[in-house]
Amino acid sequence: MKIPFRVVFRNLVRHPVRSLFTAGSMTVAVFLMVFLRTVVASLDAGVDQSQSNRLIVQSAVSLFVNLPSTYGTKIESVPGVVETNKWVWFGAYYQDPSNFFAQFAVDEETLLDVYPEIEVVDGSHEEFLAQKTNCLVGKGLADQFGWKVGDTVPLISQVFPKTDGGAWEFTIAGLYEPSRATVDARTLFFHFDYLDETLEAGGAMGQRGTSTYTLYLEPGANPTQVMAEVDALYENGPQRVQTTTESEFNRQFVTMYGNVPMFVNSIGGGVLLAVLLACVNSMLMAARQQTRDVGVMKAMGFSDTVMAGTMLSQSLIICVLGGVVGIFLAVGLVQAMGPMMGSFLPGFGVHEGALGFGLVLSVGVGLLAGLLPALRSNRLRPVEALRSLE
Amino acid sequence: MTWIPISYNLRSLWVRRTATALTALGLGATVAVVAGVLSLEQGLEKFFTDGGREDVWVFLRPGASQETESFFQRERADILMKELPEIAEDANGRPLASGEISLAVRMKKFDGGETNVPIRGVQPATFEIYGDDLAVTEGRRFELGTDEVIVGRRLVDRIQNAQVGNVLLLNVTPFRVVGVLDHDGPYSSEIWGDVDRMGEALERPGFNRVIARPRPEADVEVVAARLKDDRQVPAKLLTELTFRSGQTRMLSTTLKVLGGFLGVVMGVAAIFTAANTMLTALAGRTREIGILLSIGYRPFPIFLSFLGEAVVLGLVGGVLGCLMALPLNGVETGTTNWDTFTEVAFAFRITPQVLVTAVGYALILGLLGGAIPAWRAARLEPTEALRRR
Repeated sequence: MKIPFRVVFRNLVRHPVRSLFTAGSMTVAVFLMVFLRTVVASLDAGVDQSQSNRLIVQSAVSLFVNLPSTYGTKIESVPGVVETNKWVWFGAYYQDPSNFFAQFAVDEETLLDVYPEIEVVDGSHEEFLAQKTNCLVGKGLADQFGWKVGDTVPLISQVFPKTDGGAWEFTIAGLYEPSRATVDARTLFFHFDYLDETLEAGGAMGQRGTSTYTLYLEPGANPTQVMAEVDALYENGPQRVQTTTESEFNRQFVTMYGNVPMFVNSIGGGVLLAVLLACVNSMLMAARQQTRDVGVMKAMGFSDTVMAGTMLSQSLIICVLGGVVGIFLAVGLVQAMGPMMGSFLPGFGVHEGALGFGLVLSVGVGLLAGLLPALRSNRLRPVEALRSLE
Repeated sequence: MTWIPISYNLRSLWVRRTATALTALGLGATVAVVAGVLSLEQGLEKFFTDGGREDVWVFLRPGASQETESFFQRERADILMKELPEIAEDANGRPLASGEISLAVRMKKFDGGETNVPIRGVQPATFEIYGDDLAVTEGRRFELGTDEVIVGRRLVDRIQNAQVGNVLLLNVTPFRVVGVLDHDGPYSSEIWGDVDRMGEALERPGFNRVIARPRPEADVEVVAARLKDDRQVPAKLLTELTFRSGQTRMLSTTLKVLGGFLGVVMGVAAIFTAANTMLTALAGRTREIGILLSIGYRPFPIFLSFLGEAVVLGLVGGVLGCLMALPLNGVETGTTNWDTFTEVAFAFRITPQVLVTAVGYALILGLLGGAIPAWRAARLEPTEALRRR
């Protein structure tokens, strides 16, 4: 079967505005679907890339309860644990509460051993250790606020407010870039002791202790056994602990989104329905206007299937062209928004799956929308078609 | 100037009913999605503000906007509750004020997985302050000084061990569930017990907030200004209604932004569709327009006529969209409220406000989609138009 592509092309440009509008609505729909898919896929990135040689110890009671900082020594004595690292959620903002990003007080010396994916790209780890008030900042974050190494950053913490009502001050000693989605590119890390000593001296209010311990396991250690042993240490208090794998720990934040994936999918369903109807409608209009042409061509000897194929090709070309533009737009938006979305959705970035999905969608809608007009062309009898007025 | 009767447009829409129906359905799907997001936002807002009261005051640490960020030492809170003259008294002359602790605690859900459930320790005055807003629908209230709790109605079916007679473990202390708490607002998603017992079990000395019933003549703004810089017990004071509406800012804003984003993006697609339909309608009626022009109708009424037709199309789409979104009303869903890190279960609410917004939106879509075709129609040359088939 040979489809006369010149005819297909002629028909497409015969009503350029309509073709453009149809492709345009396809662009919008595919853009939206790919973008929403990307958001959902990003939710899982932190889970997918989790390391199996790290475990997280948190309070078994609540996300908001800190563990005593004395637990570390006892936990390190559990066979299989090489190193522990404290992380304390600092809950502060820079200049305005809407400037949201994560800050953690951590054990500064072992941070890079436990998290080798943190690569210092400017300044150095040594410099970070040198001063108690020094901090390590994600490059994405520094770029956003125009910070550079050596700058002093004032932060207002809502979890640990200063007694004098002022700001905590940190000096940037280095910038890092993470090589995995397990660490956010927009975090500020600082010395655990700076926080703890300020709290002890009464310079700030808040719970002492640590939000989590990260355990770094030696090669060949059995995570299940380590988890059980650590949990057993504090089975009877004072504060029960819950040890999980890193992926499980990250997953608890994903499940917090609750029905969001379902929600996104139903939006997608609505978008899909709307665009499908639009394309069907537009292809039906096109088919009606081409009735006479089809009649003429059939009379000239073009077969029924070729004429059906001509209709189907028009629909496919419009939808796929529109869809591809939509995919490019979505990729552009995702890349532009990357730095902004980082702290809400670590791992926010272009996902091949989402792009493929967009392409499948374009082809699918193109086929479906062309189906009805194609069938119509197929069945059309030349005599009747020639009599048509349109 | 003579206007073209709208019946002309209605009949034209009817003649091309397949195209009309497809376009209106497409517009409807767009409107339905936008209405769905809006109704979710309304449900969320309603969840937090329902049952919120102007005559209950909430005291927090200065600078805090969430209970979890707020903290009062017991002695300080006692001073506040006993000595603030604006706080009303009960029949026995005791101040109607209550110190509370609140903490989001990990609980296991029936469908697997964990969630953060707000646990609240309250003093007896809390029940007096709220009066009939709170009801124990099953079992009884917890007794003071005992390890007993009552569980919010919405939690009973979702959280393991949260049924009357079962035992919930808080850190290492077991608490017995003795009743089910009902409330129109967020308290029906919480677990309540005696503040002293809970404080001990969760190792929380002090209070996270203080609530009180003010005297009728007390002015919240005046007292708030005074307490802000109070030497002895500085505090942030706000009415419960204000406090509640601040509990969901992040999620609410996200939903509004999402609604706006979808509205604009999907709106563009819908405008294309509407414009397409109207262009085709125009192409089929070129001769008719030629006749209208040659019998003396001015271009402007023709422009209006086509625009009106597009608006009617938009209206039909809007109504269809509302009908499509309507079944969502009352459907329960859950997500994490990012301001408090706790799970909230709430329902979609198709409020009149949502419907009006949705139909208004559909009309704008029709108007924008109809603009180009209508303009084209108005600019046709009569002789030229008549010559076309």
